[in-house]
Amino acid sequence: MPFDAMNDVPDDALLVLYANGDADATRALTMRLTPMVLGYAARLLNDASEAEDVAQEAMLRLWKIAPDWRQGEAKVTTWLYRVVSNLCTDRLRKKRGVALEAVPEPADDRPSASETMIEAERAAALQQALATLPERQRQAVVLRHIEGATNPEIAQILEISVEAVESLTARGKRALAAALAGRRAELGYQDDK
Amino acid sequence: MTNKHDEFGLDTYFDAGRKAVQTPSGDLMARVLADAEAQQMANVPAPAAQPGLFASLWAAIGGWPTAAGMVTATLVGIWIGISPPAPLEQITAEVLGSTDDAYLVDLLPAFGDDFVEG
Repeated sequence: MPFDAMNDVPDDALLVLYANGDADATRALTMRLTPMVLGYAARLLNDASEAEDVAQEAMLRLWKIAPDWRQGEAKVTTWLYRVVSNLCTDRLRKKRGVALEAVPEPADDRPSASETMIEAERAAALQQALATLPERQRQAVVLRHIEGATNPEIAQILEISVEAVESLTARGKRALAAALAGRRAELGYQDDK
Repeated sequence: MTNKHDEFGLDTYFDAGRKAVQTPSGDLMARVLADAEAQQMANVPAPAAQPGLFASLWAAIGGWPTAAGMVTATLVGIWIGISPPAPLEQITAEVLGSTDDAYLVDLLPAFGDDFVEG
């Protein structure tokens, strides 16, 4: 099958093809899922290098489980988000106490001349604020508001109830708002109102 | 994704956060692909070796258990041929060595004349 023709093939079908030795499916899955896995890991860990390691490890676990994958039972992306969540939790627990100080401060003295720069600083401020949240709140908020997952999907990923997801995201957003309160003016927040 | 009710005023931050994506480096993509291919080799079982012609024939006749039976039967046959046991000689004499009696059996005695007459 030509590589381009794989664009419309669902993840789980590609995984079955991969398990059967299909080289095109291997490349399609790598191109499709690695950026997603890396993006999520980077938001949880706030460390580009560690995020790459987690992304590689999560994808390796996917390759290993491929022969036993049962089509239609679970979404591949849900499974991957769960693996990344757990891998990141393990890493954060190992280096707990160091992370917050290691989060880079957005440069306060940079001129906020353009909207692009303001957006970049907002993103950095958000990342810094996310790092202050408890792990589960951070995971729920990132999955809901950055990755675009639904509450039932997040419930599957984090293996909790939908009500617990709603509670986590609500508390997480409240904490984020508090963490960002002091930065709203300098990040041009009023312009958006 | 923007909430209809942005009660905490976070949507602009989330919008900015979604645009600030860490893109995978070429090195990471190469590592992931190498892992995939290595694991694929390990996952796909090697095809079983095809048996040769002799092995196929050997299997077709039943393998060693059948061969053992055939050899035993052959040896017993040879032994009986060389040194037949006494009861067998008696049976042989009765079947083959008896006087040459012959019997003529008329299967249709009653209709013989009918055939001749037509």
